Amino acid sequence: MTNPYEVLGVSPSATDEEIKKAYRELAKKYHPDNYADSPLADLAEQKMKEVNEAYDEINRMRQKGKGTGSVGSNTGAGGSYYGNNASTSQFYSVRIYIQRNMISEAEKILDGTPEGNRTAEWHYLKGMCAFRKGWTDQATEYFRKAVNMDPNNQEYRAALNNVQGQGSFNYGGYRTGNGGSASSTGCSCCDICAAYMCADCLCSCCRSGC
Amino acid sequence: MFGYLRVQKSELLVREWNAYRAVYCGLCKQMGRDYSFLTRLTLSYDGTFYAMLLMSLSRSCKGFDKGRCTCNPLKECRFARCEDDAYHKAAALSVISVYYKLVDDLTDSGFWRRLLVRAVKPLFSHWHKKAAKRYPELEQLVFDMMDAQRQVETGEKTGVDAAAHPTAQMLARVLSLEARNEAERRIFSEFGYHLGRWIYLIDAADDLEKDIKRQNFNPFRDCPPEDREAYETRVLNQCLARAYDAYQLMTVVDFKGIFDNMLLYGFPAKQNTVVYRLKEEKDDKSV
Repeated sequence: MTNPYEVLGVSPSATDEEIKKAYRELAKKYHPDNYADSPLADLAEQKMKEVNEAYDEINRMRQKGKGTGSVGSNTGAGGSYYGNNASTSQFYSVRIYIQRNMISEAEKILDGTPEGNRTAEWHYLKGMCAFRKGWTDQATEYFRKAVNMDPNNQEYRAALNNVQGQGSFNYGGYRTGNGGSASSTGCSCCDICAAYMCADCLCSCCRSGC
Repeated sequence: MFGYLRVQKSELLVREWNAYRAVYCGLCKQMGRDYSFLTRLTLSYDGTFYAMLLMSLSRSCKGFDKGRCTCNPLKECRFARCEDDAYHKAAALSVISVYYKLVDDLTDSGFWRRLLVRAVKPLFSHWHKKAAKRYPELEQLVFDMMDAQRQVETGEKTGVDAAAHPTAQMLARVLSLEARNEAERRIFSEFGYHLGRWIYLIDAADDLEKDIKRQNFNPFRDCPPEDREAYETRVLNQCLARAYDAYQLMTVVDFKGIFDNMLLYGFPAKQNTVVYRLKEEKDDKSV
């Protein structure tokens, strides 16, 4: 079995507080919300599971050492990515194919659907195929169409929000800065120079100290 | 389509900046050794990124050597020491892609540029043959990409997704070559796909005016001018967001700070300068 401390990326001598912090950061990183609809969702889930297990393992070891009571388990961050209506859907097989990342099979069925049967769900699934392939622009269009046809469906709306969220600035842990300004950090040249001087000073301090 | 994979120097630690430079200089040196002094001129930030990623994935960088820059003997340089073929591979990919870029330029660029390309092409043909022989799989992937690109660009009603697909797929496949298992293959492929897509689209955004003037293909040409910035930003952000998600699942240890910097600061900053037509910040310009 892998070392739980390595999984969390902390040293075995880390304090409980540090471990908690590392755990929280990783849990945020692999959170299923970041991977909604992503073809890598299962891998992120796997990572999340490893992190949870490692955290529980460390807690168990430490509790044993201290001989105090039990600690709450931190599992259960998984979750299904597909709506509840999946099993009753007319495109059930398409959903299964998408879930298994068999996109060309799913697309074949969708493209074979006659014009009259192209419901909101059809557009949603078509968008999902495009999204999985990485064709986000097309996916956005299909999701928008699905939401327009069936505005009350939460599943379609969530997919549209997700893809639009990726296009906006505050997606997940990902920062692109403030759009129109010259530098994404909002520093002027002077700030950078000053920062460099400070950093240089600190460096030389350290060196002379050693 | 070269030179978009930048670091944001102002956000790097000094030691990270030095390491980045050492990879850049190391690759430059190897390009000179593998091919010719002149191929060093094709050294790019993208090649550096690829070499650094290869070294990081195989953990083959074993320290730094001191030396002198061959182009400027007065300048002291550090070179990242690499124990596998990361530099060779990156050099080969650069030579191969520059060669195909030249071939492409022969058909869609101005008169003077065509003249220049005619003059240097025989030299590159020779190096290209050498690189292709050493890494036939890379040669095949770039060749397929150029082929698919030509078809896509002559097709009717090509949207951004279809236009970016050949480049995206090429990088996905190039990075998949490094995978050691199925999970890695999927992660590298997703990362490569969206990064490749980003490179293609940012290049297209950069060349928009030129392409319109010359009536060349450009995926953004049908976009109304008042929506252009918002649309490009949205599409490009989506690429980076998904590349970043895939990157988070990769186990990167060596050069991690540099990669984090590129994905979170360097690429978005470059994207902003291109989309909003800003001037490059001097501080971030040179290695």
